[in-house]
Amino acid sequence: MRTARPLPSSELVLRLPMWRSRVVLFLMFAAFCTLIVRAFWIQGVGNDFYAEKGNRVKRVIELNSIRGRILDRNGAILATSLEAKTVIAYPDIVPDDLEKSKILAFAKLLGMSEAELRKKLGESRSQLYLRRQIEPDVAAKIKALEIPGITITSEYRRYYPEGESVAHVVGFTNVEDMGQEGMELSNNALLTGKSGQRNVVIDRLGRVVDDLGGYIPSKNGEDLYLSIDSKIQSIAYQEVKKAVEKHHAKAGGAVVLDAVTGEVLALANWPSYDPNHRGNLTGEQLRNRVLTDTFEPGSTMKPITIALALEKGIVTPNTMMPIGHLQIGKKVITDTHPYGVLSVAQIIQKSSNIGTSRIALQMEPEDMWGMFQAVGFGQAPKLGFPGAVAGLVKPYDKWGKLDQASMSYGYSISTSLFQIAKAYTIFVRDGELATLSMKKIDKPTIGVPVISQKVAAQVRVMMESVTQEGGTAVKAQVDGYRVGGKTGTAHKSNGKKGYSSNRYEAFFAGIAPISSPRIVVAVVIDEPSVGGYYGGDVAAPVFSAVTGSALRTLNIAPDANSTQLVQSNAIQPVNFQR
Amino acid sequence: MNRAVVVLILALMGCSFLLVNSQQRTRQLFIEKNRLEIQQRKLNQEWNRLEYEQRELSRSSRIIDIAKKQLHMNDAKQDKTIYLKEKE
Repeated sequence: MRTARPLPSSELVLRLPMWRSRVVLFLMFAAFCTLIVRAFWIQGVGNDFYAEKGNRVKRVIELNSIRGRILDRNGAILATSLEAKTVIAYPDIVPDDLEKSKILAFAKLLGMSEAELRKKLGESRSQLYLRRQIEPDVAAKIKALEIPGITITSEYRRYYPEGESVAHVVGFTNVEDMGQEGMELSNNALLTGKSGQRNVVIDRLGRVVDDLGGYIPSKNGEDLYLSIDSKIQSIAYQEVKKAVEKHHAKAGGAVVLDAVTGEVLALANWPSYDPNHRGNLTGEQLRNRVLTDTFEPGSTMKPITIALALEKGIVTPNTMMPIGHLQIGKKVITDTHPYGVLSVAQIIQKSSNIGTSRIALQMEPEDMWGMFQAVGFGQAPKLGFPGAVAGLVKPYDKWGKLDQASMSYGYSISTSLFQIAKAYTIFVRDGELATLSMKKIDKPTIGVPVISQKVAAQVRVMMESVTQEGGTAVKAQVDGYRVGGKTGTAHKSNGKKGYSSNRYEAFFAGIAPISSPRIVVAVVIDEPSVGGYYGGDVAAPVFSAVTGSALRTLNIAPDANSTQLVQSNAIQPVNFQR
Repeated sequence: MNRAVVVLILALMGCSFLLVNSQQRTRQLFIEKNRLEIQQRKLNQEWNRLEYEQRELSRSSRIIDIAKKQLHMNDAKQDKTIYLKEKE
């Protein structure tokens, strides 16, 4: 039996028509073609739609940097940046038919009128700032109104906890966080940070889920430590303010220097302003008079003239000078009291213009000019402070006899109060002029020798006599400490018309403590009109109060004899229990 | 031969799951890190604000004012002060 026949099933398969497999093949081919076309469409022609979808999950995040703080020498904050909110509107998105009550509430929170707000929202701009730097709680209330097209973002706002007392030194920033005045301006680069950015992917809940590289970290601004001691500063400000009010004066200023280290401990002006609320500021309030106003320093110049005369060997402290009557050309030099004969020391103690002029006339104009230059008159102090002025010293070849005489007692020459204080550092530092700094420094600055140690000591004795019985400034005395200084009472210049007969500047510049000098304090009261106008009556009490508290703050032991000094182990512990 | 293919396929699938899992964990940790960074920033701001407030309350002019007006205190006069010499 032959069984070579194929199986019936195989026969069946072989007999299936060929077209079926062709159809399947074609369908598969067609499907792949569709996929290819689709892929091409998505990646090529129709790309924009998907690219946009993709961008929605990519974000660039700005990383804010914070402006550095300004601190005093002890680390107390004078300026700091705190978060504040900014209200941004997208006028296109804000609905026109917003409920009236909402608009009213919103306007009230923004501190503007309804009409003003409506006008702003009607502007054809895509985005505008409605208000910047509002308090966080106000921002929260605005957010609660849930107005479409209104968003709130974070910014930083500058706060000044010490307020008006140190306003002129610290200065302030504008809404863009850029320094506008004072140390905020002069140290803007140091204080300003650098903002950074991040490229990130966010998920549909808006959470950041991945970094895409290109990360630039933000860098906060650096902190700035000033040489100012905010306690001394505060007292100086209060005392100047009190004196200006008491004497119905126009303005006043005080400066305290640590002459040994070369740091400015306080620099106060009145009138002042609150840097936290700066509406309607006037130039009068903004002026840092101590540094930017020049005046004729009057008798505060005398110790400098006398120091030069002693240095040149023209006189000694005990040289007796006939005072009498002095006339140069048509000008009669006057003293407040007539004197017959005074020693050089007494000329300082009594503040004799005639005596000082007689000594000055024995000197070479070039030497006097050189002395003025050496102590810093006619040159702006290099403090890194905006607007510090140089004052004016005429070149010596243009001096007449009268110029020379009047300069010796502080007329025909102009300086700022700061320059006077700086010049007085020669008496503290045994003849060296201090280099001064508004920033805290680690080691004392190097001084420039101007006069000898011996002369500095001699002038110190004379300056102390000014504050003692018979001197012009008994009111400058400080309880427990030996102090010295010089009064000044200058008629204010009326421009070309000469000098005013009833407008004065009252000064006192002094040093303390005498036995081991450390600080210079200079005070000016501008146009005192009630209760005296002499430097010894108006400015000296301010000197006394400021110097006393500065010495105590600096922990300087009293050097006057009256003080009780006790060995610490000799004290019985006090029982404070009741 | 066949067995090797099966093992490799299983390994591949295992790796894929691990990859998905670790990706998920990465994202979770990343979100957590961001959350903590934001919290850190907020706490820093809070710290700055409190520091400012403390400073404002401890201003010398304010303290002097309260001491003199509310507590009726005065500056210590020199004759009432005893100074101690430091032991050398």
